[in-house]
Amino acid sequence: MGAHVSIAMYQRNIPLRYRLVGQRCQTCGGVNFPPRAVCSQCSKGTRFEDIQLSGRGVLYSWTRIAGAGAPSEFAAQAQALGSFVVGLVQLEEGPRVVAQIVEVGRSAPRLGQRVEAVLRRIYEEDGVIRYGYKFRPAGDAAPTPPGK
Amino acid sequence: MPEVAIVGAGQTRFGDFPDRGVKELFAEAYQETLASVDRGMDPADIQAAYIGCLSAGGGFQLGQLAPLLTSYVGLPDIPSLRVENACASGGYALVAAICAVASGRYDLVLAAGVEKMRDASANRARYWLGVSGDTEYERLAGLTFAGIYATMARRYMEEYALKREHLALVAVKNHAHGAQNPKAQFQRQVDVDTVLRGPEVASPLGVWDCCSTTDGAACVLVASARVARSFTDRPVYVMGWGAASDHLAIHDRARITSLRATVSACRQAYQQAGVGPQDLDLAEVHDCFTIAEIMAYSDLGLCEEGRNAALLESGATRLGGSIPVNVSGGLKAKGHPLGATGIGMACEIFWQLRGQAELPSRQVKDAQIALSHNVGGSGGSAVVVVYRGG
Repeated sequence: MGAHVSIAMYQRNIPLRYRLVGQRCQTCGGVNFPPRAVCSQCSKGTRFEDIQLSGRGVLYSWTRIAGAGAPSEFAAQAQALGSFVVGLVQLEEGPRVVAQIVEVGRSAPRLGQRVEAVLRRIYEEDGVIRYGYKFRPAGDAAPTPPGK
Repeated sequence: MPEVAIVGAGQTRFGDFPDRGVKELFAEAYQETLASVDRGMDPADIQAAYIGCLSAGGGFQLGQLAPLLTSYVGLPDIPSLRVENACASGGYALVAAICAVASGRYDLVLAAGVEKMRDASANRARYWLGVSGDTEYERLAGLTFAGIYATMARRYMEEYALKREHLALVAVKNHAHGAQNPKAQFQRQVDVDTVLRGPEVASPLGVWDCCSTTDGAACVLVASARVARSFTDRPVYVMGWGAASDHLAIHDRARITSLRATVSACRQAYQQAGVGPQDLDLAEVHDCFTIAEIMAYSDLGLCEEGRNAALLESGATRLGGSIPVNVSGGLKAKGHPLGATGIGMACEIFWQLRGQAELPSRQVKDAQIALSHNVGGSGGSAVVVVYRGG
C-alpha cells in the first residue's frame, strides 16, 4: 500500500520536479521551493515569479533507509540496492530540499559535501513512471541543471 | 485556581491483542475509567466525547468513528468527535475536552484515544506512519517516519557532538522503566550493547531507537473544578496547557535540532500554569525515537540547549532522579498506539500524582506537579499540559 499521489496531482508539479523551478517572492525577494501560497521568508508576499534553481547545494543531513524499512513504493529499489540514502540538501539559493542521494555506494556521505541535482526515475504508480530530482556528489565540472 | 480537573482515568495494557478490535479496546479503557471514579458516577452525566485516532480504526471507518465508539459503550446521544493530528491526536483530544469544559458549556467530558495498529500488515502500517509528514515531498523522496527523525539525529550529532551511545541510553532508561509497568507493551530491560547491535532501520537509528506498532486505548474524564469534588477528593487539576504547529516538512524548518511546536506549546503551558521546569516532579515526554527525547529535554526547558546529553548521563531523568522522564516506559517501551498515546500520558500522570502506581518501586515519591508532551508526526503539531495533584 503506497502513498497515493494521482497522475493529475503529480502532473501539476512537473516544472518543479523535472527542472527545479522555484518561486521568487516579489515582496521580499526570498526564494521558495517547493512553492507556497504565502512566502515562507516574509510571511506576507503572495506574488511570485518563477526562478530556475541551479541544482547546486550542500548536504545538510542524511539517513540511509534500510531495505526492510523502505516505503512500499520504494520497496523494489530497496530490495535491489539493499538500502538507499535520503538527504536534506541546502540549495545555493537558500531553500532546503529532501531528495535521494545517489552515486555514493556504501560510503557515508559527509555533511557539508557539495551535491548537484540530476533527473532520475523516482518511483512508479498507476502504471506511470514518476521522474524527478535526486542529488549526487558534485564533480569538478560545472554542473548542468536537470532537464537542460 | 484551575478551572478544569481530571477525575477518572483508564487504559488498556498497550501491546498486541489479536482478540480485540478498536471497539473492544475503547470499551475496556472506558469501563476502567468509570470504575476509577472514587465516588462512582452515572455515565449519563458525560456530556461530550473527543476521541483521538489517526487511522480511523485502521481505515475501516473513515467517517463517524467517534459516534460508533460512544454508542458501542452506551452513550449514543452525546456529541462525539474524532480528533486527528497524527501521533498527537490524543493530546489534541485532551485539549479539546479541556476547552469544552473551560468554555462553561459542559461540566463532564470524556477525552479518549484509541488505535488498532497490529491488524495492519507491515506494509499498511508503514503507509499510515508514512503519510503524516509532507507526503508529496518527504514520503515521495523515499523518506520514512524513522528516516525523518534519523535526519534530525544526524544533524544533532554533528551540531552538538552527540554520540550514538547517547541515543542508546534513552532506550535503556525507558525500557528499565517499562519493565516495571504492567500496562507497558515491552516489560523487559535492554543494555547498551543490545541497542547498538540492533539492526539498522534508518541510520543512525536502529530498531531499538524506534517505537513499535501498538494496539491500545485510554480515557480520562475531564470535569469542571466546580463539580470535580463531587466525584473525588483527589482530582488532578489541569494547571495550564499549550498547543502549536510547525511546518510539516523538515525542509521548510529553519532548524531540525529542536521542535518549534514543542517550544511554543510548552511556553504557553508554563505561562498559564505559573510554574516552570524546575517545579516539575515528573514528565511524560514524546520519545517516538530516542533522538526525540533528547531534543525534548531542552525544548521543554529541563536543561539548556546543548546540555541534553549531560542531563541524560547524569541520571536525573531516571526514576529516582531529580526530574524522572517517562517513568511509564514512554512510547519506546510502554508502546505507541498513535491516537491513544497522548491520553495514556494523562493516565500515567493521574496515577502518579495520586500515588497510585501499581508497584511502589515505580511510584515517583511525593509527586505534585507533572507535564505531558505529545507530538504529531515529526513535529508538525505538539501539545503540552501541566498538571498538579489535588
